[in-house]
Amino acid sequence: MAVMVILAVLPAVGMPRSWSLYLFLFFIYLAMANMWNLIAGYSGLISLCQPAFIGLAGYTLVICTWIGLPLYLGIIAGAMVATAFALLISIPVFRLSGIYFSIGTLVIPEALRIAFFLWRPIGGEMHGGGAGYMVKGIAGVSMVEFYWLALVIGIASIVLMRLVLRSTLGLGLASIRDNDRAAASCGIDVFKLKLYSFVISAFVTGIAGAIFYIYQGYIEPASAFNIRWTMIVMLATVIGGMGTEEGPIIGTAIVVFLHFLLARYAGISLLIQGIILVGIMLLAPQGIIGVLRKNQFYRSLAQSISMG
Amino acid sequence: MSLKLLTDLSTPIMMGILLGGLYALIALGLSLVFGVMKLINVAHGDLVLFSSYLAYAAMTMLGIDPIISLVIAIPLLFVMGFAIQKYLLGRAFAISMEAPLIIAFGISLILQNFQQIVWSPMSRGLTTSYTLASFGVGSIRVPLAYLLDFVAALVVMLLLREFLSRTYLGKAIHAASQDRRAAQLMGINTDRMYAFAFAISMATAALAGVFLGLTFPFTPQSGVSFLIIAFGVVIIGGLGSMLGTFIGGMVLGLAQTLGGYFLGAAAQMLFAYSIVLIVLAVRPQGIFGR
Repeated sequence: MAVMVILAVLPAVGMPRSWSLYLFLFFIYLAMANMWNLIAGYSGLISLCQPAFIGLAGYTLVICTWIGLPLYLGIIAGAMVATAFALLISIPVFRLSGIYFSIGTLVIPEALRIAFFLWRPIGGEMHGGGAGYMVKGIAGVSMVEFYWLALVIGIASIVLMRLVLRSTLGLGLASIRDNDRAAASCGIDVFKLKLYSFVISAFVTGIAGAIFYIYQGYIEPASAFNIRWTMIVMLATVIGGMGTEEGPIIGTAIVVFLHFLLARYAGISLLIQGIILVGIMLLAPQGIIGVLRKNQFYRSLAQSISMG
Repeated sequence: MSLKLLTDLSTPIMMGILLGGLYALIALGLSLVFGVMKLINVAHGDLVLFSSYLAYAAMTMLGIDPIISLVIAIPLLFVMGFAIQKYLLGRAFAISMEAPLIIAFGISLILQNFQQIVWSPMSRGLTTSYTLASFGVGSIRVPLAYLLDFVAALVVMLLLREFLSRTYLGKAIHAASQDRRAAQLMGINTDRMYAFAFAISMATAALAGVFLGLTFPFTPQSGVSFLIIAFGVVIIGGLGSMLGTFIGGMVLGLAQTLGGYFLGAAAQMLFAYSIVLIVLAVRPQGIFGR
């Protein structure tokens, strides 16, 4: 609680602009990583189509601002479109399991990228490759407002994970992850639970994506549907520890810190992140939390936090 | 009227079949790894491109013809593949089902960025005296590079088929893929067989990369699109079947050129991707799969 309050009043007491930028990215990535953790870590679906939700929500937001709708409505509309799209693609991709599911979902952002290169939803100013658009009407929005938006979605994603995992949905997901046949024979509707988590993940990822594009101010297909998004959420979750609640929080903090460290070497930034991803996966497949959990001190600390 | 349509269609059909050869060539390595280790090597597209860039470097710096540079590139990628499987992916198999996938994804990003740093994000191509040459079949003009792709794919497919069914190593790889435990009991070092399978897959990727470069311009970002094409080919053709992969290549090549003919060139890849998604949704085991 105390941490949340401090984070919320930080911009009011005046914090350096670069700080608020990194914290903004932290919350956005945190929401996305939490949602990837929900489907990959808890439901066992290695989804590679998160960029599709981010890009679609971003484009919906931009189109909404162009037809004169308020920003907040645009964010909700973006999340709605991402959710609807998740429902739509769940029909083909949920017939697939394991690695087939991953590849099925890998195709989707690529197909969308091409579709958005061809499609011209709105006339007017173009950006990047002739298919990009500016977000309209954000001149009056300050960095503080972006920051609070991101803070809300970041915290909301943590709370949502708590709620989901403590509910019957979370218990069902855990049993599916451990053994889906046994879960099914205990009367758990495997398909339905996986679909729920997929749709929840699309909705929250969509909100986070839309907020990111308000901040960015323009959108174009090559970066909106970029595999880089998948890289960020995967790296954050894997470094922290897949299938743990604290994992994405620590992982995202490290990823954002890496961005900060490597900001001057943009060229090799992804290269180093790729090496870290492979290294962590080989040396500590359970992530930092996995290593910490073996530590007695950490366990007693975590226990005292959850008690108090 | 129908005769005119037929003569009009003869060009996209011919091009589609030959282009299918290139797609099959890219997909053969993916299909082998998929069939043997049940791993979708998401780095395959980038490994193919790595070979394209090697040939590009050999051509621009040393003036070696891309096809001749294969003499070095094939053994190099063979060794690289052996090492990747032995030291990275092989260990990941012991961790969990998802670990190899995530590691392959990491390798893909590492290669993509490596290529971007070394060769810049600009579009490159392997331009030789014969890439722009074309020849006529009746009224159709066919680029020579497309024919080379097709011939190379046919040769590699037949060689792989014979290798897997006739040689001891091939049979051992086959055995390891069918039942790992049983193969181990028969005294087969399955980890070694997996490494060989991956190495062979990389050797075909070396070939595919050179022919890809001769046919199309490429950028460091092209890996994902060729991975998806190759995956589509494997899915259409059925898992691990070399002949199926070859036919799958033709199907996807035809889908692309005919899609381009009817819907316009800009939409042709969208059409091909849609075919992949539809096949995945309707028959995940592939059209020719069991």
